[in-house]
Amino acid sequence: MSTGDFVYTLSFYLFGVIAVIAALVAVTSNRILRAAVGLAVTLVSGAAFYILLNYDFIAAIQVLVYVGGIVVLIIYAIMLTSSSELVESRPASLRKALAFLAAILFFVFSVTAILKTNFSVESSESPPGEIAAALGRMILDTSSSGYVLPFEVISLLLLAAAIGAIVIARSYSPQATGAEKGKRAA
Amino acid sequence: MSLFPGFMHWLVLSTILFSIGIYGVLCRKSALGVLIAIELMLNSAAINFIVFNRFISPATLDGALMVIFIIAVAAAEAVVAMAIFVAIFRSRKTVDVNKFNTMRG
Repeated sequence: MSTGDFVYTLSFYLFGVIAVIAALVAVTSNRILRAAVGLAVTLVSGAAFYILLNYDFIAAIQVLVYVGGIVVLIIYAIMLTSSSELVESRPASLRKALAFLAAILFFVFSVTAILKTNFSVESSESPPGEIAAALGRMILDTSSSGYVLPFEVISLLLLAAAIGAIVIARSYSPQATGAEKGKRAA
Repeated sequence: MSLFPGFMHWLVLSTILFSIGIYGVLCRKSALGVLIAIELMLNSAAINFIVFNRFISPATLDGALMVIFIIAVAAAEAVVAMAIFVAIFRSRKTVDVNKFNTMRG
């Protein structure tokens, strides 16, 4: 085994164990803020997996958007709903056991299916050179193999989500609504 | 199975993460905990896309592009979920999913 292979193997198991432990913290901790930190650690190890698989650009996006954006958003939600000092009561043991059973069953079925399937694994060395440039070319490609339509749909989805979030979360104080004003005038 | 991480090792790793996410979705009481578990499952699906791209068709980048789309959709989902939780918290003073029963018949 060469040095590069050794480092690859070692980092795979190191980050794998970190990701699994952090994920367990994220789903079992009864302090919700600790769970959010566990999620952040899992996502950072996910970025490490992408680097191990030679997709550096995706790893950068993962850290920027997932860890920098979504986890911060979740932490804001925790603060705004003041769940941070609130310690979640332990779920009922029956519910826990059923959830555990569902997770284990899913795991056993998927792993059996994975092991039974014959994947045509290609042992090519690495993905095409500059991922960011190739991705950009694919996204803006208007031919039938391009992704310009999903790209536009995603941008529309993000705009709709942003506007919808503002409308839903805006505080409707009684003085501000038109109905209340009309009532007062009458 | 050798110790060197190949295709199967990556798939089993992402399956473990997805199973942990399933457990979290089913047994969390706080809606924010459910959202965190859903993000875990989305992330493990994204890892699967990258693994399949890397080992099955390394010449193309379709899987990597799917991961970008997954991240964008996850961001949109987290934004809307946070807005809904804040709105519900304002009217009901809790984010416990067992108390969200207004639409129960």
